[in-house]
Amino acid sequence: MVARRIKMSLAAVILPAFVLALWALGSAKGFIASYLMPAPWDIAVSLYNFLISRGQETSGGGFIVHASATLYRVGLGFSLAAVLGLPLGLISGRSRRFASVLDPSVQLLRSVPGISWLPLAIIWFGIGTTTSVFLISLAAFFPIYLNTMQGVHDVPLVWLQTGRMLGAKRSIAWKVLIPAAMPSIETGLRLAMGVSWAYVVLGELTGVNTGLGAIIMDARIAGDPSKVIIGMISIALLGRLSDLLLIWILGRVPGHRKEAKVIG
Amino acid sequence: MDKDPVSKISNIGLTVISISVKLNTGTATSISIIDQISFHAEPGEFVCIVGPSGCGKTTLLNVCAGFTKSSSGMVLVNKRTVCCPHPSRAMVFQQDSLFPWLTVEQNIMFGPKCQDNREADSDTYIDLVGLKGFEKYYPHQLSGGMKQRAALARVLINKPDILFLDEPFGALDAQSREEMQDVLLEVCYRTHTMALLVTHDVEEAVFLGDRVLVMSSRPTRILADIVVPLDRPRAWDVREDPIMSKLKTKIRALIAHPDYVKNSQTEENSILV
Repeated sequence: MVARRIKMSLAAVILPAFVLALWALGSAKGFIASYLMPAPWDIAVSLYNFLISRGQETSGGGFIVHASATLYRVGLGFSLAAVLGLPLGLISGRSRRFASVLDPSVQLLRSVPGISWLPLAIIWFGIGTTTSVFLISLAAFFPIYLNTMQGVHDVPLVWLQTGRMLGAKRSIAWKVLIPAAMPSIETGLRLAMGVSWAYVVLGELTGVNTGLGAIIMDARIAGDPSKVIIGMISIALLGRLSDLLLIWILGRVPGHRKEAKVIG
Repeated sequence: MDKDPVSKISNIGLTVISISVKLNTGTATSISIIDQISFHAEPGEFVCIVGPSGCGKTTLLNVCAGFTKSSSGMVLVNKRTVCCPHPSRAMVFQQDSLFPWLTVEQNIMFGPKCQDNREADSDTYIDLVGLKGFEKYYPHQLSGGMKQRAALARVLINKPDILFLDEPFGALDAQSREEMQDVLLEVCYRTHTMALLVTHDVEEAVFLGDRVLVMSSRPTRILADIVVPLDRPRAWDVREDPIMSKLKTKIRALIAHPDYVKNSQTEENSILV
């Protein structure tokens, strides 16, 4: 069992290792121009410096400063989306009347690409955290709302009948409806977390001083591809970590299906 | 048997008084599903309902349990009018109705928790249905028969006045079905619970029931009310009893050829109605 798992992990490494080897070879032999794609070791050195630096490395501070600014925006935007999306999705999924009022407008808004809100958001909120948070919560709202609505709508009638027959009255929403819709709700939240990371970068590309997106944009202006790549790696790592954190939290919510194997 | 259920209102048990259910199709005419059905079941009695498929057996059960409103008529359980689902009127469904996010034990304790009943002891009922050792299992880890055992324990813990069963073993294989029939008989006998069971399996109806109500096709009426003259407790080998096979034949004939049976006035059929 353990040997098998090690084998599986090794299998996952083969492809990246191969690409890395090609890249290192190309850089060493001079086939890859360093102003387009720096050598892997150069990036490693820059990444190390970025991680430990505290000073005025590029635009106002090291990794901790930028990462915490980005995390704050993601956290706030995602939370806003969840606070709005969960209850609205819940009611829309159960009340046809409520859905007939709200849902057409939501679907109309959804067909507007999130990116196209950027100019308007800058006009409204200026350049800074508010714009990022607005874009994130707008974009993350839809997967949460839609999946919650669908999940709640699809709860088998027999579970609701069982709940009522066993004596649940008002509490049936907490005791049956939400746990029953939990797999869909979890999917919606995880999708929204991914969307949040995409939109935080969009918000930060517009000239804010802090944030991992700002690092990328500054590095582009400075013509420093290794810094761009460091920014990308940081975003990927934090995005993955936040997904794992979300899975961990969701696994502890009452109603989580123990048999449901989390994929990814 | 008393043919007029109205006179039984003052009695305890299940009393169904001229229940009709019409399906509103939106047009001027509505489809009649159930047409003025009346019957009475004594406390502790086990009544089975059989009939052609699509005849409204499940609808009748849903009306009795309070899940469906009838167009007219009323249902009383122990002198109380049925208006909505209630823990005192338990229902076991054909499909798997256990909550997949709860363990067997948590599923069984769902009812007592909803009613703030702290005295309820899940172990007694887990033992009763033979699920000892599976308390911490989740439904997906159980077989179909074990799931129905858990579903049975989950409603029995509320000490219901009556048990409604809607083809509870219809989705099980033949072997588990017989096993579950034995469990159900045992449980009802020991807890002295009144039961109303809908089934399409004539053998099941005769084996389990004190009485078998044979329904007509839509609009549903009671074709025959047949008393099963077999003693209780019934052991598994009662299935081979000659009385059973005789009754089974009659009921099958009633379901398949109601007019033919009604018109033939032989001694054989005098037991009907």
